[in-house]
Amino acid sequence: MEFIGKILFMAVMAIFVQNFVLMRFLGLCPYIGVSKKLDSALGMGMAVIFVMTMASTFTWLIQTYLLIPLHIEFLQTIAFILTIASLVQLVEMVIQKTAPALYKSLGVFLPLITTNCAVLGVAILNIQSEFSFIYAILNGLFAGIGFTLVLILMAGIRERLERAGLPLSMRGMPIAMIVAGSMALAFLGFSGLKF
Amino acid sequence: MKYYLKLGFVLLIITSVASGILAYINTKTQPIIDENQRMEQEKARREVLPLAVTFKEVSGELTYFIGHDKDEKVIGYTFIASLFGYSSEVKTMVGVNTGFDIENIKIISQAETPGLGANCEKLDFQKQFSGKQRSDMIVDKDGGTIISLTGATITSRTITNSIKTALHKIKLETEAEGAVK
Amino acid sequence: MTVIKEFTKGFIKENPVFVMALGLCPTLAVTTSVINAIGMGLAATFVLVFSNTIISMIKNFIPEKIRIPAFIVVIASFVTIVDMVMHAYLPAIHKSLGLFIPLIVVNCIILGRAEAFASKNNVFRSILDGFGMGLGFTLALIIIGGIREILGTGQFLGFQIFPETFQPMLVAILAPGAFIVMGLLMGLMNLNKKR
Repeated sequence: MEFIGKILFMAVMAIFVQNFVLMRFLGLCPYIGVSKKLDSALGMGMAVIFVMTMASTFTWLIQTYLLIPLHIEFLQTIAFILTIASLVQLVEMVIQKTAPALYKSLGVFLPLITTNCAVLGVAILNIQSEFSFIYAILNGLFAGIGFTLVLILMAGIRERLERAGLPLSMRGMPIAMIVAGSMALAFLGFSGLKF
Repeated sequence: MKYYLKLGFVLLIITSVASGILAYINTKTQPIIDENQRMEQEKARREVLPLAVTFKEVSGELTYFIGHDKDEKVIGYTFIASLFGYSSEVKTMVGVNTGFDIENIKIISQAETPGLGANCEKLDFQKQFSGKQRSDMIVDKDGGTIISLTGATITSRTITNSIKTALHKIKLETEAEGAVK
Repeated sequence: MTVIKEFTKGFIKENPVFVMALGLCPTLAVTTSVINAIGMGLAATFVLVFSNTIISMIKNFIPEKIRIPAFIVVIASFVTIVDMVMHAYLPAIHKSLGLFIPLIVVNCIILGRAEAFASKNNVFRSILDGFGMGLGFTLALIIIGGIREILGTGQFLGFQIFPETFQPMLVAILAPGAFIVMGLLMGLMNLNKKR
């Protein structure tokens, strides 16, 4: 029971209170870049959830069974980014071979994920927070869900914004930022949550 | 096949050169980092227990330091209380006298919201802990006497709770230590 | 393009933050104060200059297929060096920048410049480009950090500039303020460009 409680707590923390995009400012490039269409936002979100969970798993294993025993923690940044890059490549190849339909919808987003700082961010945060293996994986999963949630919300808003009569200079990126700010204000309301 | 071997070889060379350089810089900077950390803690210990001249480390479930005055008499203890606050681990160096009344506290590490929780580093907030006991470790929102930071009840509560728990542990540990002697 | 233009284009015309909207994550995350902004800007400039130098030096030896991983290793090495040196000599700034120092690796500005410029130009031009872009990035960070610090705390670089009676707009240094200030500045840049 305690385990379930802790997982629920982690989920609420990662998805709402400490939302990766709006509160931690991680993964902003895809958040602004891929949120113009609802379809592509959904595809990107799914791909990110998948890669973040996988990355959390593998980087945790590498840190615990490779970097710490060999006392080369200072190579953490290089090791993690290479892990993520190869992981993304691998996932791309596997999906391409086994599920061409899925590849068609996710494929274009996969290379973009390597430079999504939310992925490297969650990997480093897992280590810094000294999570155990299971919690690290779950944290990756929840952080990915939180990212997808705000990405989809944003895409929904921006599809409607297209038709709004905005001043020319505010169209596109600037108004997206202001909308993100308003969303962050709303998410700030979650910060009082305490169990 | 030969082409792929070449690719791997080039990457291997780049990575090993990079690792070599990093390893070298690491051996230069790591001692400084460790020394900084040690100095910082030493300074914090002196601030929270100003009367002590020498400190003796006692490691246990919670590592603490016994502060001695110049006649080698025990005058108090210092320890680090830590708990997860609003957005970060908040670590507080606490100094207590032999009766476990708090002498001073000092926040040594936090990354709470700037302007709100991060105000816990201000002296006004930390000073109110001086002279308080374990039973006083309750914030005003919960009916206690510790005046919490504006807009940062969670951070304030975290600090008081962490001190409360750590004080309890220290009491038990010092008693156990005394019993052995 | 003349040499001077190579250097100054990053300041305004091709400013990586306002015009190209690259490296948004650190831009918004660390600009709660001017001193953080300067620290982050200089760290990124250092990485940018050196990674541009090395990459333009070794570009001819690197087979096309492994270009990106090789660039990432070079960049990650310099990021780790910055991380270690700052930790040793500037512990206070290192602590407040925290996670965002290792995340310089995935800062799109750096990989972007390596890809778009350093891998095609000679060493001298690449250094100038890296330096200019880095300073442009720093400048943008200082502007955003300045606005947020003045509005949010009534201070600039830690000096009180408004009288004590000034009630700070706390929201400016919280997450939503970052987005809104950024959005308005981008709009302003667009307005300027149109003229």
